[in-house]
Amino acid sequence: MSRLLDIGLEQLTSIVLKMGEAAEKAVRTSIAGFMGGQDVSEQVSELSEMLVTMTVTVEDKAFELIVKYQPVASDLRIINSYMKIAYDFERYGRYAWDISLTHQRFAASRKCVHNEDLMGKIVDKTMHMVRKSIEALRDNNGEMVKSLAETENEVDKIYSAYLDILAETPLAAEDGICNLLVIRYLERIADHATYVGEAIYYIATGEKIILR
Amino acid sequence: MNNKNKETTVNIEQVRPDAKMQSITLNAWFGSKQALKEINLTVEANAVTAIIGPSGCGKSTFIRCLNRMHELVPNARMSGQVLLDGKNIYSNETDPVQIRRRVGMVFQKPNPFPTMSIFDNVAAGLKLTGTKKGQNLDEIVKKSLQQATLWDEVKDDLKKPGTSISGGQQQRLCIARAIALQPEVILMDEPCSALDPVATAKIEELIVSLKHDYTVVIVTHNMQQAARVSDFTTFLYLGELVEYGDTRSMFENPKSEITEKYITGKFG
Repeated sequence: MSRLLDIGLEQLTSIVLKMGEAAEKAVRTSIAGFMGGQDVSEQVSELSEMLVTMTVTVEDKAFELIVKYQPVASDLRIINSYMKIAYDFERYGRYAWDISLTHQRFAASRKCVHNEDLMGKIVDKTMHMVRKSIEALRDNNGEMVKSLAETENEVDKIYSAYLDILAETPLAAEDGICNLLVIRYLERIADHATYVGEAIYYIATGEKIILR
Repeated sequence: MNNKNKETTVNIEQVRPDAKMQSITLNAWFGSKQALKEINLTVEANAVTAIIGPSGCGKSTFIRCLNRMHELVPNARMSGQVLLDGKNIYSNETDPVQIRRRVGMVFQKPNPFPTMSIFDNVAAGLKLTGTKKGQNLDEIVKKSLQQATLWDEVKDDLKKPGTSISGGQQQRLCIARAIALQPEVILMDEPCSALDPVATAKIEELIVSLKHDYTVVIVTHNMQQAARVSDFTTFLYLGELVEYGDTRSMFENPKSEITEKYITGKFG
């Protein structure tokens, strides 16, 4: 016989996994818009708004489960971590929206990507981290998240190298600002992917690690 | 009582000189049924240690071994050692009555002496052990009731029967009765199971305050209560000690899968 708490935990897990899908879609769509020179801000805005609403739902559900069942051990770790992960997914969505808004404001439907090769690398690595964090959550795999630290380190290096190039390259002001902000948002998304990884590791093992 | 292992040699590496109590390879039986198996547990001084586990796991038997009450049960026996300040309470030279004075007990149901007044309930143990009126008896009774956070509620009714007050107050009266004998350790066997939430909260506050002057061991079925009041928690299962640790760790990240299943309600 399953516990009453299990029903609530299943609902919570379902919402958080849906958030993961929406967050991944938001980041993927915004990056595709930026790299391809398309205004996707409306689509991404909808996803971001949805993620904000879902975060509130996760918090409400988590509090309900705490109040009703006083969970401990793995149950408590799951609830605590899901609240953190929900916030991180919300931030994925918000930064994705920021990318699409930045592109809309400074480049509209024009392609403005500078140094496409290096930008492509940070985009790929960030998307890899986003997917990996969601996959690890779905599989409740604490080991899988360990590689996020290494990838995040690579993102940081590319970010730093890209800033150096931007500082030395004469660009139209709009393009400079657009590229600078987008790469910053990507770096922040990668940071949040490590936070998600830390929360998953805590669920799986009960130990707290820092992946940054 | 057949203490078949009174002469067991204590492994010196197991003894913690700073511990208030220790059980060392403690076994206990009721007839042929073994209730406790090789229990090694340290009870830290001036701390609350909670014993949790499903019904029949040996929680109550364990704490009854800590003040030699187990031997009062017909056909009961034990082996191993229980150290109080490093000395075996089951040695031939030890007087069980003295041990029960140093290690007091509060039971599940409040059990004030029904024919005695509130004052006499607290003073009963003292009178039995020779303290007479005038030998600070009034002061000790007052101090004990104050420590049990009951004084303000009964100070004008000391001559009323001990059973005339509420269940929660009766339990605090029993705690005052135990305190009056100035024990070093107070054992509590599910002290709140017969009380309402308000009375339970008062007893829990009292338990936490008592650890400044005493060492407390509490048996409870209520996991949240163990989490709220104790510094250390022990999980017993089928007479064996499965896990012991600081309470925060035990309830956040238990090491044993059986502990995890029990405290999360997946069995038991």
